[in-house]
Amino acid sequence: MMGQLRGLGRRGCDVLEALGRSGLFLGQSMLGVPSREGWSLWVRQMHFVGVLSLAIVLVSGLFIGMVLALQGYTILVDFGAEQALGQMVALSLLRELSPVVAALLFAGRAGSALTAEIGLMKATEQLTSMEMIGVDPLRRVVAPRLWAGFVALPLLTVGFSVIGVYGGYLVGVEWLGVFEGSYWSNMQASVGFVEDIGNGLVKSLVFALVVTWIAVFQGYDLVPTSEGISRATTRTVVYSSLAVLGLDFVLTALMFGGFS
Amino acid sequence: MMDSPVVEVEGLHFSRGEKEIFRGIDLQIPRGGITAIMGPSGTGKTTLLKLIGGQLVPDGGRVVIDGQDVHALSRRDLFRLRRRMGMLFQSGALFSDLNVFENVAFPLRVHTDLPETMIRDLALMKLQAVGLRGARELMPAELSGGMARRVALARAIALDPELVLYDEPFVGQDPISKGVLVQLIKRLNEALGLTSIVVSHDIQETLSIADYVYVIADGQVMAHGTPDSLDIDEDPRVSQFIHGEPDGPVPFHYPADDFFNDILGLEVQS
Amino acid sequence: MRRSKTMELGVGVFMLAGILGLLFLGLRVSGLTFDMPGDTFRLEANFANIGSLKPRARVTMAGVTVGRVTAIELDSEWYDARVVLELDAGLEDQLPRDTTASILTAGLLGEQYIGLSVGGDPETLGNGDTIRDTQSAIVLEELIQQFVSNMVND
Repeated sequence: MMGQLRGLGRRGCDVLEALGRSGLFLGQSMLGVPSREGWSLWVRQMHFVGVLSLAIVLVSGLFIGMVLALQGYTILVDFGAEQALGQMVALSLLRELSPVVAALLFAGRAGSALTAEIGLMKATEQLTSMEMIGVDPLRRVVAPRLWAGFVALPLLTVGFSVIGVYGGYLVGVEWLGVFEGSYWSNMQASVGFVEDIGNGLVKSLVFALVVTWIAVFQGYDLVPTSEGISRATTRTVVYSSLAVLGLDFVLTALMFGGFS
Repeated sequence: MMDSPVVEVEGLHFSRGEKEIFRGIDLQIPRGGITAIMGPSGTGKTTLLKLIGGQLVPDGGRVVIDGQDVHALSRRDLFRLRRRMGMLFQSGALFSDLNVFENVAFPLRVHTDLPETMIRDLALMKLQAVGLRGARELMPAELSGGMARRVALARAIALDPELVLYDEPFVGQDPISKGVLVQLIKRLNEALGLTSIVVSHDIQETLSIADYVYVIADGQVMAHGTPDSLDIDEDPRVSQFIHGEPDGPVPFHYPADDFFNDILGLEVQS
Repeated sequence: MRRSKTMELGVGVFMLAGILGLLFLGLRVSGLTFDMPGDTFRLEANFANIGSLKPRARVTMAGVTVGRVTAIELDSEWYDARVVLELDAGLEDQLPRDTTASILTAGLLGEQYIGLSVGGDPETLGNGDTIRDTQSAIVLEELIQQFVSNMVND
């Protein structure tokens, strides 16, 4: 009994310590003065985490928009309210699906790759040798990746929403025959720029920070063996998915829950 | 040998988890020579280099480089100090996303404001010194182990450091590469007036170039002296190591229970 | 170096596309317009019951959207709802003083909006004036209740 209690306490301390370490890590890398080549390093990472994730995000967005329209239509048509389809598609995408699904895809596509890349750099002593050359790997390796993720995911989320709305249009208007004017005008009447698009963007900024942070920290903190890398990669995907879904609930409650 | 030592290690204690790695190590690395630190595998020779480079913090004792206590320095000062040091890693540790030329040019780019043409000339000079000027366009993945280590050496000396640390430079190399590296370390040391610390357990190669040798085992300095005086040292552990005998005071077996009891699955009172 | 040039181009296009996407969301999806604040004027209207009218709901005349609801609050003097409307500036000093504002529903279950219908008064409504003649929202429960009590009385 005492042993279990002590074990629990030790686990708790470990978790707190890891949180503290990762917080320091985030502060040191994001607040530090960027290195001289910071810009080109950032561009390279933007290309990697942003441009190369575009295809998967856009394709998923298109399909999710189409499915939303199809499902929504079958329900709405029972109430004779199929002209509200645009509103339904746009609101579900902007408030929930785009930030969350884009963040999950991002964690799987870019987050795991970031962890593995940094982990491999650590395992092959590249980070240590960088330190010995007198270059801080937090600034040189970590900071560009963090900033790239932070900028890239909101842009990907916007892309997801746009193509999702278009997918809903394809299915709802072109295929199921919802009147085009009511698709757009219902959407425009109900979607608020600040409350829906703005809040969705705030969500995706938070997710971007959390997912990239987890990915980069797991890579930086892992045990430098092949087993350690595979574990850390898995952890990145699991932790960031959980964090995204949990935070989504909290943020939704704060933004749309009416507790102000 | 010259006046004051470049690196002084005093009463260094370090442990990893429960395991005590160093129990009071004292070293003095004289300026301008090649000092070898030898010992069986697993005695923490690489750890010692990391302690000297300030990447690990000791539990007790201190490391002084040129009058500066490495572990009392701020992060910024530590990075400044490291610019005057070069380190050759066991694996080479080349940056896998840069080609050979960019790897060697990396320290120059980040620490100097030299124009591009000058960086090019300097990097090519260093590559020429290790004989790999022709390989400048290759990526690290395309290099053999020996070549990677030579490129890493060129990178380590790119900023003309005063102190170069070699971590197991000969391990896993064919005889030709070993010969090349022995030559390079000796020639560079003489030509550039470096102070070199070579950590190794390759006895022949190391003794052929070292000016002074420390032998470490059991977390302590077992013996030290010039290569000639070392061979006749009466410490049995040192002579076992130097002569390469498989069993002796440094046991062949990892500590274990009695083999007979272990095989029969008998309970052992411990 | 060529690789980094194409990389920079890719990133540039990516970011531009993101910004354009945001613009699309703003204009096409949320119906944001860049009208100057001076292009509208305010009217107030008191309703006994607004039903489920929300801020940002449409204000229409003859089915054409001419403005939006900007604020809804409880008038603590009469205990009814004061609704603030923002209408296109072109209608300023054009609407007769006896214009009627009624809360209507789009379809059976649709959103609620305000419909304006003009009267014949020669005097007109200016910025900040109040519409006197209003018609509250139809609350379905009340309708049913009336219907049921009428049946009982019969």
